[in-house]
Amino acid sequence: MADALTQLGFASWLSVLIASIIKVTLILVGGSVGMMFLTWYERRSISYMQDRRGPNRVGPQGLLQPISEAIKTMTKEDATPRDADKIVHFLAPVVMLGATVLSFAVIPWGRMFPVDLNAAVLFVIATGGLHSIGMMMAGWGSNNKFALLGGMRGVAQLISYEIPQVMAIIPVVLMTGSMSLQKIVEAQNDFAGLGWYVFSPVGLLGFALFFTASLAEGERTPFDIPEADSEIIAGYMTEYSGMKFAVFYLSNYMSNLAVCFITATLYLGGGNGPGVDALGGIAGGLLSLIYFLLKSFALFFVMVLIRATVPRLRVDQLMSFAWKFLLPLVLVNILSASFWVALLRWDQQWPKLTEWFGAPSTADATNWGRLAIAIVLTLLINAGAVALIMRLTNRNVQKHLYTTDEELALGLS
Amino acid sequence: MNPIAIGVFIVIALLTLGSGIMVVTVRNIIHSALWLIASFIGVAALYLLMEAEFLAVVQILVYAGAVSILVLFAIMLTRQVTGEGVRVVFERWWVALLIALGLFGVIVPTLWKHGATWEEAAKLAQVGPAPVEGAANSLQVATATEIGRSFMGEYLLPFEVVSVLLLMALIGAVVIAYEERTRRRRVLTLAEELALKKRGIVEPRDAEGAVMPREAEGKVILLDSEQA
Amino acid sequence: MVGSVPLVWVLTLAAGLFCIGLFGALSRRNIVGMLMGIELMLNSVNINLVAFWRYLQPTGTAGLIFAIFTIAVAAAEVAVGLAMVIAIYRARLTINADEIDTLKG
Repeated sequence: MADALTQLGFASWLSVLIASIIKVTLILVGGSVGMMFLTWYERRSISYMQDRRGPNRVGPQGLLQPISEAIKTMTKEDATPRDADKIVHFLAPVVMLGATVLSFAVIPWGRMFPVDLNAAVLFVIATGGLHSIGMMMAGWGSNNKFALLGGMRGVAQLISYEIPQVMAIIPVVLMTGSMSLQKIVEAQNDFAGLGWYVFSPVGLLGFALFFTASLAEGERTPFDIPEADSEIIAGYMTEYSGMKFAVFYLSNYMSNLAVCFITATLYLGGGNGPGVDALGGIAGGLLSLIYFLLKSFALFFVMVLIRATVPRLRVDQLMSFAWKFLLPLVLVNILSASFWVALLRWDQQWPKLTEWFGAPSTADATNWGRLAIAIVLTLLINAGAVALIMRLTNRNVQKHLYTTDEELALGLS
Repeated sequence: MNPIAIGVFIVIALLTLGSGIMVVTVRNIIHSALWLIASFIGVAALYLLMEAEFLAVVQILVYAGAVSILVLFAIMLTRQVTGEGVRVVFERWWVALLIALGLFGVIVPTLWKHGATWEEAAKLAQVGPAPVEGAANSLQVATATEIGRSFMGEYLLPFEVVSVLLLMALIGAVVIAYEERTRRRRVLTLAEELALKKRGIVEPRDAEGAVMPREAEGKVILLDSEQA
Repeated sequence: MVGSVPLVWVLTLAAGLFCIGLFGALSRRNIVGMLMGIELMLNSVNINLVAFWRYLQPTGTAGLIFAIFTIAVAAAEVAVGLAMVIAIYRARLTINADEIDTLKG
């Protein structure tokens, strides 16, 4: 875009500036419009799951409901508690929204990349981690014990789930050989645009783990402990009203949108799909954007489905789920990803082996054989690990489910 | 000369230094920690400006996302009355100020004396090798890939040592901050409390309402043990 | 960046940050405050390392790798340091450095 502006006769630095401003505007508008659609989408679909209709009065099928609600929140009184730390209280939603918007800087829309950062995958996780600062500020600045409790819970949850989230990405980075989202999307373009990582055993487990950890990062329902309304009112948002509350809401839904986008990019091939390369040019770009949005909204539908079916976890269950269930599986997945890479792409990793056996070529008949071996091997490792850990977890749960009288009297449970 | 780069650098420098000054001068220690985060983010932006993308992301991930949160947690766990009139600095803080200013006064003239030499060297270093004979020179700044290769090759031993150090720090932090189980009271669930009441064992409470262990049927109720 | 901003400017920024951190580490009574000053100093050292890498040896990795080592060591230092702060607070109910003077002669 900057080049086109330079050709129009702008100075080079001015064209860079104008191009950046246009990009930022597009990202902001796209993000917030997407968020508005998302709220409507979630409410409508969860209503049908609960046998009711949901918002359907404002506009066609209730599509304009988010706008009417935005107007409502803007006209509400913006109250600040008397003993609150005013500046921190004010800045907390700003920090939250800022962190979310930052992550949109690297997220590709189909095959359009706003910024192709070298470490884009890590960047998304890092900006997600910044949410914990906003939560801490909101919790502490409100001068309310429920807000502080919610903030503390939220921060502990975010920090715990950041670890499985980062490590679930490592298999993708290993298989691609790069952390740039553009390269990751390109690497999933085999088999007529259907070579998505989710179709390999490593990618499937990674997808499940990453999506689960991201649910916790985005405080979606089984993990919405920081704002559990039946326990601590609204957690760190207790003392917020009016526009500030709306900003929290906006940042929550935008980060959910970002999670769907990132999961679709990492495991579901981003904008890849049959026909994109055949069409090419602008039509191909549009088709890839459509594919990408379809995948993302399908993922968001899964989120809504989980919200409608799974009850909220307890705090200790939350922690043991992260540390005793997700983390071991993620480590095993990294192991099988290394087997996968070693079997399919040894020429890039070990030049010694290439000297001995020759480079693996895609035209080679043994390539399919190696692919089959890799799939069977990783499938065995991953399925075995999942079965083992499920069994161990179930046994633990069984043991803790019932408490005998003797144990109770001794205080052992 | 690129005016945007200079402008961005000046803004980042002001952000970093300004919030650094706020870190050491603000009275409220929590505000101080929040300013520290702003300073960390300024440093990350500086790394981005210097094309060290991976390091910038690591800076945000480790410093802004983890270290500052750890600091905030530590402050909240050791909360004191941070009222007015409480001294937050030592009596002889002006000595520290003199030392810091003196150090700054020594470093900066030395730096500027060598500025021209470095400028020459930097100009030479920005010319990369030509990819093909006769083609234009292109500078390939090291990225995460090269960092990974160095870690697995040249710097393998230091890398392993640092990972052992991190493991030691992890274990050490847990051991030091660990509160012994015997000093912690286990909170009963409602069902357990009801079951105890039904059996006629109502736990005695001390003056503050905390549950105290007591003798029952010749056995000690270890309400705090969670070994199971 | 490299063509526009001289190396000396970046180094001066780092020196300023180091001196601010030094002042904080020396003057604060609160141990956590001291740790925050030390963090600022470590960050300024990292700025120096990265600046020298980018300006003088951009194709190598030594500067970046040293910066990453510094970050790792700083993380370890903060974890152990704050654990000690919590342990001290539990034993003495204060985290002011001048009140923890059991070894005072």
